Amino acid sequence: MTKPLLVGAVAYTPNVVPIWEGIRDYFADGPVEMDFVLFSNYGRQVDALLDGTVDVAWNTNLAWVRTVLRTQGRCQALAMRDVDLTFQTVFAARAGSGFTDLGDLRGRTVALGSRDSAQAAILPVKYLRAAGLRDGDVTLVRVDSDLGKHGDTGRSELDAIRLVLDEQADAVALGVNTWEVIGRDELMPDALSEFWRSPEYCHCNFTALDTLPDAIRQPWVEHLLAMSWDDPEQRRIMELEGLRRRWVLPELTGYESLFAAVEEQQIPAYW
Amino acid sequence: MSRHIVLDLVERIGTLAAGDQVEVPISAGDADVVARWCERAGHQLVSIEGDRAVVRRGPLPGEATVRAAVPADRWPGTRLWIYTNFDCNLACDYCCARSSPQAPRRELGSDRIRRLVAEGARHGVTEVFLTGGEPFLLLDLDEIVRRCVEWVPTTVLTNGMLFKGRRLRMLRNMPRAGFALQISLDSASAALHDLHRGDGSWRRALAGIRTALEEGFRVRVAATVAGGEAGAEEVAAFHELLDGLGIDRSDQLIRPIAQRGFADDGVMLTVESLIPEVTVTADGVYWHPVAANHDDQLVTRELFPLDQAIDEVRRRFVQYRREADTAARRFTCA
Ligand code: SF4
Repeated sequence: MTKPLLVGAVAYTPNVVPIWEGIRDYFADGPVEMDFVLFSNYGRQVDALLDGTVDVAWNTNLAWVRTVLRTQGRCQALAMRDVDLTFQTVFAARAGSGFTDLGDLRGRTVALGSRDSAQAAILPVKYLRAAGLRDGDVTLVRVDSDLGKHGDTGRSELDAIRLVLDEQADAVALGVNTWEVIGRDELMPDALSEFWRSPEYCHCNFTALDTLPDAIRQPWVEHLLAMSWDDPEQRRIMELEGLRRRWVLPELTGYESLFAAVEEQQIPAYW
Repeated sequence: MSRHIVLDLVERIGTLAAGDQVEVPISAGDADVVARWCERAGHQLVSIEGDRAVVRRGPLPGEATVRAAVPADRWPGTRLWIYTNFDCNLACDYCCARSSPQAPRRELGSDRIRRLVAEGARHGVTEVFLTGGEPFLLLDLDEIVRRCVEWVPTTVLTNGMLFKGRRLRMLRNMPRAGFALQISLDSASAALHDLHRGDGSWRRALAGIRTALEEGFRVRVAATVAGGEAGAEEVAAFHELLDGLGIDRSDQLIRPIAQRGFADDGVMLTVESLIPEVTVTADGVYWHPVAANHDDQLVTRELFPLDQAIDEVRRRFVQYRREADTAARRFTCA
């Protein structure tokens, strides 16, 4: 028997255990067996991918960028969730702020999530600069409450929103997933409102080194993509993992903005 | 209203495994937002009282998931049990219907039975079981059976002791196709059977089985045994007897006594532990045939329309399964 493909994932919620047990069980009937290992942060996970401890890493976009930079591109993205193709960053402020564009934030305070969160810290800074705001034009308050997990827990974004509600910041930048989870500005219309939304970009992907043989990669990806929303057990796993309906092939252009932001902000490729 | 309530909810729920629940402190005026957030985010608002809301984390298994975990022929509302009457010629000590010659008849009647079966068949019922009491006490049982068989395969549960005279003629009038008799015989020899069911009853039940077989009916034999009574030897002798009569092994059933009715000990059954099998008596629709006398398992007093009662049973079953999954996870540690 060949060794199962070993997939690494970061444990950012108790649900990662049922999620990955479910995916492992799904692959038990498939062409390539797999097992999983959980890490406490993306730094360790990328190290483990690079040193061969795991064959595949379920990476955030920043972990993907760092893997590409550390391997000089000798890696590949295998697949992603449908939601990862259309990720966005939202800027919100207290209802009635009158903000209509990022330029309105000149002289204001903006709350950001953990500094290793692409959606709530790295890309927002890029968007602010693109809107013509230089360092010093805006006061940034960083809430690093889920550092290491690249903002996956949503915790730092929630803390950043609290700063806005408590009038310690004028606006907040957060991932569209967290914005959806809090009910956008519909559940508490008197509290918060969205005033700017970024273009779509890519979020997580399954990352492997380019040494992963095609004979394993191909059937594994095909079997992953065959997971069905219409099968109750498979759907349970997909819902837990936050898919809208299906696994998809990656679109690497969706990472260009983050590569640019990492370069501009000189975010290190190592931890 | 607290401005942070939604953030508090997201944060607390975010640390939970799906299916687990948490208590969240709330302020006056938060109830509506909490309910709307749960609905929208796919979590279940378990309760909301005073300054506390209890929320169960989703995604919760939907009906399709629960259904996938239950064999298709056990999905609630697939089998329909009908208590034709409650009186009986016997007074077995473990009778879950508390039947006896003194028990009031509480008869459903041929017309209501026909309507129940027709409505049930249109709503997913694929098999009907007529039970009691002793259905053969009813002198129109042949007509009832014929009407049921027009819709779905039907089984009559009987003690098999009344196949004589007029009732034998009634038996002969019953269809052979789509119909089976399930006759109770608790042991391979008289002692054990007669202990629970009365002297001479084993011999007469065996005679009833022979009569039914000779008349060309499909006969299933069901043994109801207390824990400890069904040793390997007894089970082997039971099968040998029935094999000798030419009864198929799949028609030889052995089941434990349920702790209901007159039984003081047996397997404890609760609404939550049973896969429901919709059961109708003259008094209402119940969760399961072993509890057709128990108000705690009453679903509704309204027999019609039956599809509403079946839907209610399915809805409650999905709910219990969700909660049971949660409880099972909560109590699995050493
Ligand atoms: S167990 Fe059956 S035979 Fe015995 S009293 Fe009850 S209904 Fe009658």
